[in-house]
Amino acid sequence: MMEIKFTLNKREVVIQTEPGIRVLDLLRESFNLTGTKEGCGIGECGACTILLNGLAVNSCLVLAAQINGCDVLTIEGIAEGNELHPLQKNFLLHGAVQCGFCSPGMVLSSYALLEKIPNPTDEEIKDAIAGNLCRCTGYKQIIDAVKETAKELKMIK
Amino acid sequence: MMNLNCRILSPGSLAEVLQLLADQNSSTKILAGGTDVVTGIKQGSKRFINTDLLVDINRIPEIKNIKKDKNKITIGAGVTFSDLCASEIISNDLPILKKAASTIGSMQIRNRATIAGNFVNNAPCADTVPALLVYNAVLEIESLTSKKEISLQEFLSGPYKTQLKPGEIVTKIIIPVPDDNYRGDFYKLGRRRAVAISRLTLAVLVRHENNTIKDIRISSGAITPIGTRFQNLEKFASRKNFDENLCRELSQKIGEEVLAATGLRWSSAYKLPVIQQMLFQLLMNLR
Ligand SMILES: Cc1cc2nc3c(=O)[nH]c(=O)nc-3n(C[C@@H](O)[C@@H](O)[C@H](O)COP(=O)(O)OP(=O)(O)OC[C@H]3O[C@@H](n4cnc5c(N)ncnc54)[C@H](O)[C@@H]3O)c2cc1C
Ligand code: FES
Ligand code: FES
Repeated sequence: MMEIKFTLNKREVVIQTEPGIRVLDLLRESFNLTGTKEGCGIGECGACTILLNGLAVNSCLVLAAQINGCDVLTIEGIAEGNELHPLQKNFLLHGAVQCGFCSPGMVLSSYALLEKIPNPTDEEIKDAIAGNLCRCTGYKQIIDAVKETAKELKMIK
Repeated sequence: MMNLNCRILSPGSLAEVLQLLADQNSSTKILAGGTDVVTGIKQGSKRFINTDLLVDINRIPEIKNIKKDKNKITIGAGVTFSDLCASEIISNDLPILKKAASTIGSMQIRNRATIAGNFVNNAPCADTVPALLVYNAVLEIESLTSKKEISLQEFLSGPYKTQLKPGEIVTKIIIPVPDDNYRGDFYKLGRRRAVAISRLTLAVLVRHENNTIKDIRISSGAITPIGTRFQNLEKFASRKNFDENLCRELSQKIGEEVLAATGLRWSSAYKLPVIQQMLFQLLMNLR
């Protein structure tokens, strides 16, 4: 067991953990944050996507010991209180959520994209979510939701 | 819950890493982006069985930079594919490497996976290998008691095998900057666009003057057991006229070379004409 300290959804946390468990399991089992999903467990589906120091990564490929001192954002951390993040609202509005299994990862990949490129092209959106598989929507609704969010966020700024 | 059941140490300097590796036994492994190590352990790969200590090298600043001085580019071993894609030095001077890096996995993979992890793992389908080979990449390898340079070609000894010895770490990739007269390209064929294992890759770098080939470098990945240069083709083309006929001859010959390197495999029937056509098109576009 080792003690790790990190920022989880903007709050400092400290926990005793086995160093060699996946961050995916740490989040789901020690923090009860079950929005982060396990699909493939080998980096191919993106259902387990989290933001690590602002970058989208697969939490099934990162080990607990590696996030000591890091900043972690999960799907549970992007709403402001009861107010959904504009990406979450637009995913719902555009029918980009069907079974919803891919949605947390899909939203976080889009979130990381918009932080870096506020006004992305279709190609840039496709590249950002290429590592997030969706069996339901056919992706068009997702791309629409991301574009709409980009517009709204620009208006707010 | 999956537990790798091993110790993980995350030292903050290269000196500490070298000390840990020196104290090691054979069950110590370096952990970089983990995209091969974690999936390998999970899938029970023999190469990672019995690992009891992982030395995480993500916190050592010495291997994270990309630098250019005069005619040499130095890439830290821990540079990720996202870092490579975002680097102006790489875009301007090593566009084939940039193209190869940008085709790898997905954003999530590129944000973690490192350049050295790619060729140390040395899967036949490691996409940076053909690109680094045409750039004549040289590696710097350190241990507690030694520091040496070795060419990438020599370092790669077989599928999933390299010359890396216990106690050693790759610290840098050193690439002589090709002058402005070189042009090149990279082509990757996968089953689909993203998160696809390469079926065939090809990299070409060529310098010609008045239509005569002065220097040509051709390498492939995935189709050959490891990424490799085609020195016979390069010799054959040297000083010849860079015309359609030569492009055709070279693409004919690459088929023979690949057959010789692999023996006949069930997949060759479709792969050979594909690699021939790929090379032909790459060469024609570079004329
Ligand atoms: C879903 C998915 C898609 C992928 N798609 C592609 C693709 O399209 N193209 C492609 O080429 N690859 C692809 N890969 C593999 C690619 O991510 C890896 O080869 C990666 O580059 C390895 O780097 P890493 O930092 O993750 O290495 P790790 O997994 O941490 O390590 C890999 C090996 O290298 C050793 N090592 C790492 N760094 C050093 C060092 N500095 N010195 C000595 N030894 C070291 C480790 O001990 C280990 O043996 C994919 C992987 C996944 C999971
Ligand atoms: S569960 Fe991590 S990528 Fe599929
Ligand atoms: S909504 Fe079902 S997988 Fe995307």
